[in-house]
Amino acid sequence: MKPRDAGCAELGRPTPPPAAKPARTAEPDPVPVEAGPAAVEAGPAAVEAAPENELIMHLERDQFVAETSRPVARATLGRYAVPALWALRVFAVTVSAMVVYTFITQLN
Amino acid sequence: MAATEAPLAPAIAPPPPVTVQDAARSSDRSRVHLARLANRRWSLLWLLVGPGILAMLGENDGPSMIAYASDGAQYGIGFFVPFIPLLFAMAFVCQEMCMRVGAVTHRGYGELVLQRFGPVWGWFAAADLTLTNLITLVAEFVSIRVGLAYFHLGSVVAVVLGLTLVVFTFSGGRYWRWERIVLGMALFNGLFLLAAILVKPHVGALARSFDFTPFPGGSFNTLLLLLASTIGATVTPWMIFFQQGASADKGMTPRDISHGRYDTAAGAVLAAIFGIGALVAGAALVSRGGAGIQGFAGAGYPQALSHVVGSAAGTVFALGLIEAGAVAILTISASTAYAAAECVGVTHSFNSFPREAALFYAANFGVALLAALVILIPGAPLLSIALNANVLATVLLPVSLVFMVMLANDRGLMGRFANRRSTNVIGIAVIAFVGICGAAYGIDSFLLATHVIG
Repeated sequence: MKPRDAGCAELGRPTPPPAAKPARTAEPDPVPVEAGPAAVEAGPAAVEAAPENELIMHLERDQFVAETSRPVARATLGRYAVPALWALRVFAVTVSAMVVYTFITQLN
Repeated sequence: MAATEAPLAPAIAPPPPVTVQDAARSSDRSRVHLARLANRRWSLLWLLVGPGILAMLGENDGPSMIAYASDGAQYGIGFFVPFIPLLFAMAFVCQEMCMRVGAVTHRGYGELVLQRFGPVWGWFAAADLTLTNLITLVAEFVSIRVGLAYFHLGSVVAVVLGLTLVVFTFSGGRYWRWERIVLGMALFNGLFLLAAILVKPHVGALARSFDFTPFPGGSFNTLLLLLASTIGATVTPWMIFFQQGASADKGMTPRDISHGRYDTAAGAVLAAIFGIGALVAGAALVSRGGAGIQGFAGAGYPQALSHVVGSAAGTVFALGLIEAGAVAILTISASTAYAAAECVGVTHSFNSFPREAALFYAANFGVALLAALVILIPGAPLLSIALNANVLATVLLPVSLVFMVMLANDRGLMGRFANRRSTNVIGIAVIAFVGICGAAYGIDSFLLATHVIG
């Protein structure tokens, strides 16, 4: 069993070292320097020309597209979870079908 | 030799490649950091509000406001005045979980369900959402049409207005801009409160109604329909997809969770007040036996209000319906776009330009276009579609909520931000209540329709 504050271990990323990613409880981030909307609007070339470190300071590492594009690990469901989810799914579809049938009957 | 060397500096992971989307989000986040550093509380709140208010006021959409007004017109304000805040309290519990999961994982609901529980469940969720969103969007266009009909304008104007708004909000490729435009429009949901004031309600009667009486009369099936449609007017699957996706797109982090709660709570309070406004305005028609409901497909409610309490109330109500429909078209289309692009695994952010996120923007516009085309079909049963949209959403909601609670409890994803036991107890109670009401209406209606029961 994972400890309560084990972190977000399943987000598919290694835990970054402190220098690269301040802890969430740490002091506020250093004073940021905006890349400026002009650089953003101008597209990838201008963005690459902008000082990357300054941009990174404003985002947590796991917020970057490169990080969020990596899938999270598949969860292991309990013994009864899968049948229960299927039962709920069948139930929802059945009741939906009843509502749609009633709707069509009322139209006629 | 190695033992005498100076210790190496800790390894620093190389920075990830920066995309245009990252840069845009970083720019928005820089203002949050500055406000936090300077301890500018109101500025920080202003920067972090958005997804919660939009989800809640977006749900105060055309069919919902018509449902509240119908409740008022048929049964008066008793029971519903306290019932609506109760439902929004339930909505807060669900939406707070969405915000929290989005802020911690930086991922949307569809994406997480698909990756964490497998493609079958992810695609089921997306299919549910697309179906209910398409039907609800038709109802939103109906709502705009009803509002415009009061001003003697037709379906084509409703379609052009709705689709133009969707395209207009795409401009700029920035989430912040999209959010602020829609947020500005959403505040006009307050028109329903103005309509309520204009009908001059009896304040004493309003105060007395907080004891949940008189309980609505009528048949068991009517009562179930009332419950199911009112629940569907308050908590729906699209809100789950939208708020989690928007929280991630906005760049919220665990440090912003408390502000996310304020945002969601503010949205719930505003939505409840404006919903009660629609109820009270509708209740002005109760002495006429709910007159105006039958004329809904034309300009029923605003016209009926205009006859009973004056043209100002009718005009404000009509404008409110146009606003409610327009804002919901934007938020519901966005939730469809988040779901579709997340499940396919392509770019899903307003911080990207259409050429970089073709599917995201195509789904956003496409679902609105499909719904718009339906209301142009001559003789389409628009009234029935509008009234059944909320019920279908209620029936499909428990499945979405179960996965939401599972994600919010997933300590592998959420760490110390996972649900507390008390949140789980309330969440499960909400799921059970919504599930029972939806299923009871579905089964009872089906048995009546097939003449199994009389």
